[in-house]
Amino acid sequence: MWHIIFILLFTYAKCDDNYNERRRELVERELRSALGGNTTLSDKENVVNNCLMRHKFDELDYAFDHPNEFNFSHHFFSYKNRIPTSKVYKIIKSMPKGALLHIHDMAIMGADYLLNITYQEHLYVCFDKPVRFLFSSNVPNVTCGVQWQLMSEARAAVDNVTEFDAQLRKLFTLVCDDPDKAYPSIKETWTRFMQYFNSAHGLLTYRPNWEQYFYDALTFFKNDNVGYVEVRSILPNLYELDGTEYDTLITAKAYRKIIRRFMKDHPDFIGAKFIYAPSRKVNRDVLAQYLVSARRIKKEMPELFAGFDLVGQEDAGNPLIEFVPQLLEAEDLNFFFHAGETNWFGTLTDENLVDAILLGSKRIGHGYALAKHPVLMQEVMAKDIGVEVNVLSNAVLSLVRDVRNHPLNIFLSLNLPVVLSSDDPGAWGADPLSDDFYVAFVGVASKLSDLKLLKTLALNSIKYSAIEPENKAEALQKFTRQWNDFVDNFDCSSY
Amino acid sequence: MNTLAAYTTVCLLITLDARLIPDNYSKERRALLDEETFTAVGGKLHLNEDETIVNDILMKWKMKELNPSYTNPQHFNFSKHYFSYKNDIENSKVYQIIRRMPKGAVLHVHSSLMLHPDVLVKLTYEKHLYACFADDDLRFYFSEATPDRPCLSKWALVSDLRKSSGDPVAFDSQLKNYFTLYKEDGEDYNFVDINTVWQRFNKVYYTIKSLIAYRPAREKYWTETLKQFYKDNVMYIEVRTGLQDLYELDGSRHDKKYLVEVYKNVTAKFIKKHPDFIGVKLIVTKHRALSIEHVLEALNLTRRLKAEMPDMIAGFDLVGQEDIGRPLTDFLPILSEAKDEINFYLHAGETAWLGTSADENLVDAILLGSKRIGHGYALTKHPSLMSAVMKKDIALEVNVISNVVLSLVHDVRNHPLASYIALGLPVVLSSDDPGAWSAEPVSHDFFVAFMGVASKHADLRLLKQLALNSITYSALEDESKTRLFEVFNKRWDTFVRDVISDECLLDTSVS
Ligand SMILES: [Zn+2]
Ligand SMILES: [Zn+2]
Repeated sequence: MWHIIFILLFTYAKCDDNYNERRRELVERELRSALGGNTTLSDKENVVNNCLMRHKFDELDYAFDHPNEFNFSHHFFSYKNRIPTSKVYKIIKSMPKGALLHIHDMAIMGADYLLNITYQEHLYVCFDKPVRFLFSSNVPNVTCGVQWQLMSEARAAVDNVTEFDAQLRKLFTLVCDDPDKAYPSIKETWTRFMQYFNSAHGLLTYRPNWEQYFYDALTFFKNDNVGYVEVRSILPNLYELDGTEYDTLITAKAYRKIIRRFMKDHPDFIGAKFIYAPSRKVNRDVLAQYLVSARRIKKEMPELFAGFDLVGQEDAGNPLIEFVPQLLEAEDLNFFFHAGETNWFGTLTDENLVDAILLGSKRIGHGYALAKHPVLMQEVMAKDIGVEVNVLSNAVLSLVRDVRNHPLNIFLSLNLPVVLSSDDPGAWGADPLSDDFYVAFVGVASKLSDLKLLKTLALNSIKYSAIEPENKAEALQKFTRQWNDFVDNFDCSSY
Repeated sequence: MNTLAAYTTVCLLITLDARLIPDNYSKERRALLDEETFTAVGGKLHLNEDETIVNDILMKWKMKELNPSYTNPQHFNFSKHYFSYKNDIENSKVYQIIRRMPKGAVLHVHSSLMLHPDVLVKLTYEKHLYACFADDDLRFYFSEATPDRPCLSKWALVSDLRKSSGDPVAFDSQLKNYFTLYKEDGEDYNFVDINTVWQRFNKVYYTIKSLIAYRPAREKYWTETLKQFYKDNVMYIEVRTGLQDLYELDGSRHDKKYLVEVYKNVTAKFIKKHPDFIGVKLIVTKHRALSIEHVLEALNLTRRLKAEMPDMIAGFDLVGQEDIGRPLTDFLPILSEAKDEINFYLHAGETAWLGTSADENLVDAILLGSKRIGHGYALTKHPSLMSAVMKKDIALEVNVISNVVLSLVHDVRNHPLASYIALGLPVVLSSDDPGAWSAEPVSHDFFVAFMGVASKHADLRLLKQLALNSITYSALEDESKTRLFEVFNKRWDTFVRDVISDECLLDTSVS
């Protein structure tokens, strides 16, 4: 009897060992092959990691037991104010995140910043739909469905300025109390999002403001521990009080002026470039003009001109295929196309991914639809095309609700060349990059993903940036110095 | 004049040139898109002449129904909760075609939650049925006299309650609310969290279970279920069942084998009337939150039943909400011991939690040699597991509507099925618990998958391949499988002829 049991136990244990081994092998293979899986951490980094993961597990274990309180399955607006209390967030916030490679210049700073601008002199407002603003020494000679009035007078005329400002502030943000009601579908979201740009436009493109704004934006990035940025810009025509309007080259020059000034003030900052990204909702003739401007700017300031892109709601704009002949002639410009920012599988928008790849795009903006295109994913991998993922943008702009369904987790597990970015953080009151990192790290990535992932994402952002090869080593050095600072001075108890 | 002419020519050349995509670009582009189509599920299928005509009709309607949403996405139903559009489905021509299409086998359904609540209400007209309404909950019991069983309020005859309500129609529609998560008055399920939905879901389950534990009620239940599935053009079913003990009016109880016999006999009777229905097999289940002893007992039961009625028992599975149940690793010793004798059809990866024990169930399901995987929702996040699934040819039983209702995904365009189809994984479509959300047996699931999840270009080849897959990956013995293929092909030909000759589908106003 004993014999039999013993034999049974023995054979069982044997086959069990085998099983456990195969299981461990499989699980480890997954972790190793995922983004960051091959990185090793130093002892000091391990200290950071232990602290980070303890807090991450605390947050996730609680959410696992209380899924109704799991923030990331809800709308960003419903939990964004609670993010700053998260210890994981605080660690991420103070962590150097490298480069910010996908952000649009008109939506960086947030509602309070824009509201503040409305207190400036010479500002006129047109309370039409959408509400528009214009700085001018006289009543603007621009159509307005109602009438232009001085902002200061409009404000003086109301009884309750606080309430007035609160209403005004709403123009400058998509954030609201009941997002599920306000944004039942992508249609309402994008309509509202476009209104935001209409309202912000006149406030920011006033030349003196533009310069100040971009300087402030760079400061904002730096404070979020971002070391380098590539800003997408439609390069709007700037204007003066007397109505003078400049062309795109002047806007580009304004960028140059500010970037130089900022670099002088902050030599430890790695730098900034811009990607000329005008609207995709144009015809071929207009695109031809865009390309001429792009060339002119590139020639004038090759060190700041990173490349070319087309922007606007992809579903509602022209597909890239429309422009392929023209774009093929302009490959010297370096493309950073938005592509596959859509839920529509098998449509022209979806196929933008094919053209972005074939046109030699250096990186792809969003690439949200990539997970449905295994063949294209292989191309992205083979050609080493950086995928700029913006989780919060995709959540706010109605592509995905529960971020656990965001394709980023597929990209990460396949070790696609991913960089994280934030798209239009100002429009939804998010950080330049920390909120996106936090939500991606806790909400999207595997529970087991750790500092190795975060560090690799930061390194990727430098690797896939448009920094010239000869300058990359120095950029990496600056980043490494910041990273080591962060690791060396890390104190778990301070979070 | 000359210069002007020259200038015009140049302009013309430029515009012409702007429209011209170089040959090699077009070729490369075509090659990528073709490779995608070829890789996808159904991509290698060839349609004959008649099928091509049907495909043209199908795709004409698909485009007509999808295109308006592209410009007006606020009207795109599938980005919303299933309950908000389920009543409109019938109006879709694409749906009408899918409904008539033979769908082969349904391989992932749970026995108590297969029947539409309307039919369940009819079952409550059976004699001797007592009900106990208490605390928003409802239990039934068939008995000669008032049941001698615990009830927080009191037991009453359903017939009495119906009569005294004064409004039998209203009474019945209230009763129906206990049989389904779907409420006519549109309760907001939009953003209810997973645990809350599962609590409501379990409540529905226990109510229905109490109604069909009575042997005659169960026989009727099963007959009606077969009718509904057959009407939905399903020819074979594999049912997951916990094999509850049935009882008689006098309170006497049957053993578990008895229910297997009920399934067998009722189905046999049904086949006599409908000879092209192939039959059913059972996958014995146990709740995954239970102890190892309980699961071991269920495994032994499966083993015994399989020995006694081999044609009825397909295998074994563990059920219940995966996140909060025990992970498969808890049962590893007993499962790996049984795996050579019993085929597994394990639920795994029915979770949105990446990197948790529920998520890792996928690893164990694969290593334990599961013949198919129930849901596998989390699989896209695990590339090496996906290649294992592909290599071992493990079919994924995908239940899109279930995943929506049970709170895994909101806009179905984010459902991983899109990736599985694109990768050409061995996928079968099923419906999990169609009764619990008042869905058709499997046509709604096919429809939502086809219109909402798959590529806009996905066509009849996908639908046919999915139907064929359901036969290929069934647990049928070779001989029966061959017969099912025969029945399917015959029905498929009839379906093709019917669609071609259906004038309602030949609306000439559509281009
Ligand atoms: Zn963007
Ligand atoms: Zn199931």
